[in-house]
Amino acid sequence: MSRSSESSPVAFEDRMATTEFRIASEPHISVHGDSCRGCTTRACVTACPAKLFVPTSDGGILFNYEQCFECGTCYLVCNTEGAITWAYPEGGAGVVYRRS
Amino acid sequence: MRRPLFAACWKVVELRSSIDPLTGEVTPDHLSLGVSRSDEAALEWALRSAARWGGGVRLVTAGSAKTEAALRQGAAVGATELLRVDLPIDWPSDWIARAVAPHLADADLVWCGDMSTDRGSGAFPAYLAAELGISQALGLIGVELNGPDGPAGSDGPDKGLGFEALRRLDGGRRERLSIGARAVLSCEGATTRLRRASLDGVLVARDAPIAVRVGSRGTTVAPAVASIAPFRPRARVVEPPAGPTARERIRSLTGADAAGRTARAITLNPREAAVAILEALGSWGELPAGLSGERAGDLP
Amino acid sequence: MTERFDVVVVGAGPAGSMAALTLARAGRSVCLLERGPFPGSKNLYGGVIYGRVLDEILPRWIDEAPIERWVTRRVTMVLTETQSLAVDFRSSAWGAKPYNGATALRPEFDSWLASEAEKAGAVLVCSTTATGLLLDERGRTTGVRTDRPGGDIEAGVVIACDGVNAFLAKQAGLTSTEDPSHYTLGVKEVLALAPDEIERRFGLEPGEGADFEVIGGTGGIAGGGFLYTNRETVSVGLVLSIEGLSRSETRPEQLLAEFKSHPAIRPLVAGGDVVEYGAHLIPEAGLAMMPRLAGDGILVAGDAAGMCLAAGIWLEGVNFAMASGAAAGEAAAEALERGDTSAGGLRGYRKRLEANFVLADHRRLKRAPHLVLSDRMQHQYPQLVCNLVEEIFTVRNPSPKQGIVAQARQERRKAGVRLRDLARDGWSAWRTFR
Ligand SMILES: Cc1cc2nc3c(=O)[nH]c(=O)nc-3n(C[C@H](O)[C@H](O)[C@H](O)COP(=O)(O)OP(=O)(O)OC[C@H]3O[C@@H](n4cnc5c(N)ncnc54)[C@H](O)[C@@H]3O)c2cc1C
Ligand code: SF4
Ligand code: SF4
Repeated sequence: MSRSSESSPVAFEDRMATTEFRIASEPHISVHGDSCRGCTTRACVTACPAKLFVPTSDGGILFNYEQCFECGTCYLVCNTEGAITWAYPEGGAGVVYRRS
Repeated sequence: MRRPLFAACWKVVELRSSIDPLTGEVTPDHLSLGVSRSDEAALEWALRSAARWGGGVRLVTAGSAKTEAALRQGAAVGATELLRVDLPIDWPSDWIARAVAPHLADADLVWCGDMSTDRGSGAFPAYLAAELGISQALGLIGVELNGPDGPAGSDGPDKGLGFEALRRLDGGRRERLSIGARAVLSCEGATTRLRRASLDGVLVARDAPIAVRVGSRGTTVAPAVASIAPFRPRARVVEPPAGPTARERIRSLTGADAAGRTARAITLNPREAAVAILEALGSWGELPAGLSGERAGDLP
Repeated sequence: MTERFDVVVVGAGPAGSMAALTLARAGRSVCLLERGPFPGSKNLYGGVIYGRVLDEILPRWIDEAPIERWVTRRVTMVLTETQSLAVDFRSSAWGAKPYNGATALRPEFDSWLASEAEKAGAVLVCSTTATGLLLDERGRTTGVRTDRPGGDIEAGVVIACDGVNAFLAKQAGLTSTEDPSHYTLGVKEVLALAPDEIERRFGLEPGEGADFEVIGGTGGIAGGGFLYTNRETVSVGLVLSIEGLSRSETRPEQLLAEFKSHPAIRPLVAGGDVVEYGAHLIPEAGLAMMPRLAGDGILVAGDAAGMCLAAGIWLEGVNFAMASGAAAGEAAAEALERGDTSAGGLRGYRKRLEANFVLADHRRLKRAPHLVLSDRMQHQYPQLVCNLVEEIFTVRNPSPKQGIVAQARQERRKAGVRLRDLARDGWSAWRTFR
């Protein structure tokens, strides 16, 4: 669909701010930027619903774990062995849904 | 020598609540009952105090029975005694302090969080110190439990039970305090993080006994509230500025040419200082009518 | 120090809580582990729960479960870019006892169900992540490791109800699937609207709810959309094929914004502020992805076993999770009773699933996921039927009306659908959904 979405001008940060995240002291996912340099799909960048993968100008990937939904999409779409190390965060930490 | 006793005070609150933007009605979220980061830090400091000087940790909360699950989380990390003072949590802080104080009379150090998350005032620790008649060090932003032993000259059961802490002052300044027992302390959440409970701790804490004491109602009369209104700095009526150019009018309006309210350093005793402050505020027109430096004579 | 229970259930979702409840009632010591701070805190879903499976186990669930609205209106909709075609079904029978579906919020519902397990005697431990299985030298499961200090728990049986990512089943070697085509991603917004406004927009009586399942509307990515009414919020979301999404240039929240602005959807959601946004995977492939259900000392239930029924017009997982969890609990109790918790001793689990709706429904609908996510079903057919209906209802006086069969033929050609494919898909749809 090409229609402009006039009814949804929510900025991405505001959208994310509606959901609670209890931030763990250690990251539960790590992305090994070097493995990403050869990646042509960059699938994680569009697929991650929390927009946590940001391409850098030097061809790497910047990743921030703090507002992660713990869904698993990124490891499913990534074809590069060893690029993503994925685990659940420490018990009690991470996303807390309240109205879903 | 008596075994020292450390205490932590928790206020169990709904950490999340939704506020209707139109009516202002607050709906507390029953699944979010817990304590603030600073209350958690307070328990961690109590546990570390006990690790340093030996002795037990009593975790105290005031409120209804629904606070007990949160209290047990304290037992899971190592609190040795749990105590709940049964009272309505919407009592004023001084009543709560009065109801809780008798259960802390034997504590050497009482750790509190500096503020609860439900827009608390942070006044409870101060009232508590007053009720107990012991010293207070509030709003700590850094604690060094493992420094040299306590203040020289202290003896008796409290001997050596002392440490240093850092406190925030106005204007970005800091105050380094030397603290000895007995005292009430309140700390900010960033000072430390509560340790994670072991699995065994969690399982055992499920059956941890909680002593329940009925809190007796306070006697202070709540201050009469004349009106509740949003805070707006008072407007002061000033003469329209005179002057031929806009620049001069602005200068006169902003008082740029007048003798400035420059800061001066003076050394006074507390009573004289209070009088001086009231006088200064009065001369600046900051005091409401009827309250001015002249009334300073009423001070004790 | 190592703890010991008869059974450890990992995950206090609907599958786990039902397993724990069943075991506790059978007199077994059972530890129910949950990594969230409270049950349901991680479990974003769409919105409708079919509670019939609770009738026997928790007969008072209708009065006690935290229900938002009872669904009395079910709309199945096909969207193209500018058109929509809907089957709008209403039933007043669904609005009275014993009811059919109900909207519910998972943090509330899952917390309630877990508390029922606790009442029966299960030990619920939250904020604790199982990081792996404990295995003996012969590869049999003997317990789980958690991320708490001193966090090993030994157990006769481990029931893995840890949801769609199924790390425990993978570690036990019961499955290895990480095929992206087996999963879809659900993204969802919860929008605040006043209860009477919801009732007005969706044409409902107070307390009644609506359930909209939408095919298409996903901007060219295979998938669909949904709308559910809660008491004072509306849940709106998309289900997107992972493969489609990874090839796409458009991000999930942009697709969702486009969906919300479709003329058929916009009037229902306009003006609702987003009060929560989130995402969760759905196991989409049914039987094709189902792991071995039992290993030595371990059972797998719910989404972890791919038991969610996600087949276009159906999106049911909670009822399958509850039924499979209860069956796993019963089978584990039986195995412990007999003293044989090997894969063979646990085979009562599969038997129970064969006997109730869980495996029967999955067998019957085993071709559905493939069919529903196929390109023709996603793009060509919606276009075809919408155009056909548009032609039929567009008045072209003074030209006379055309015969419907002729119009249908014309539209089929325009949509580029070959008769052969239509016949084949029609046949497989008949075999799938009959
Ligand atoms: C967008 C979307 C819409 C849906 N709509 C519907 C619908 O309308 N109706 C319907 O019936 N179904 C729906 N479903 C499917 C339904 O949500 C699932 O099928 C159902 O939740 C499965 O239940 P479960 O108990 O197997 O797993 P889950 O509900 O996922 O529960 C798993 C639990 O395990 C915990 N856990 C996971 N790993 C660990 C670990 N290592 N240690 C400790 N705890 C762990 C999790 O925190 C979680 O609580 C939808 C799903 C999605 C994503
Ligand atoms: S994480 Fe994977 S998909 Fe993303 S850029 Fe790196 S290699 Fe590519
Ligand atoms: S788990 Fe989901 S939300 Fe988290 S980084 Fe991966 S794709 Fe993004």
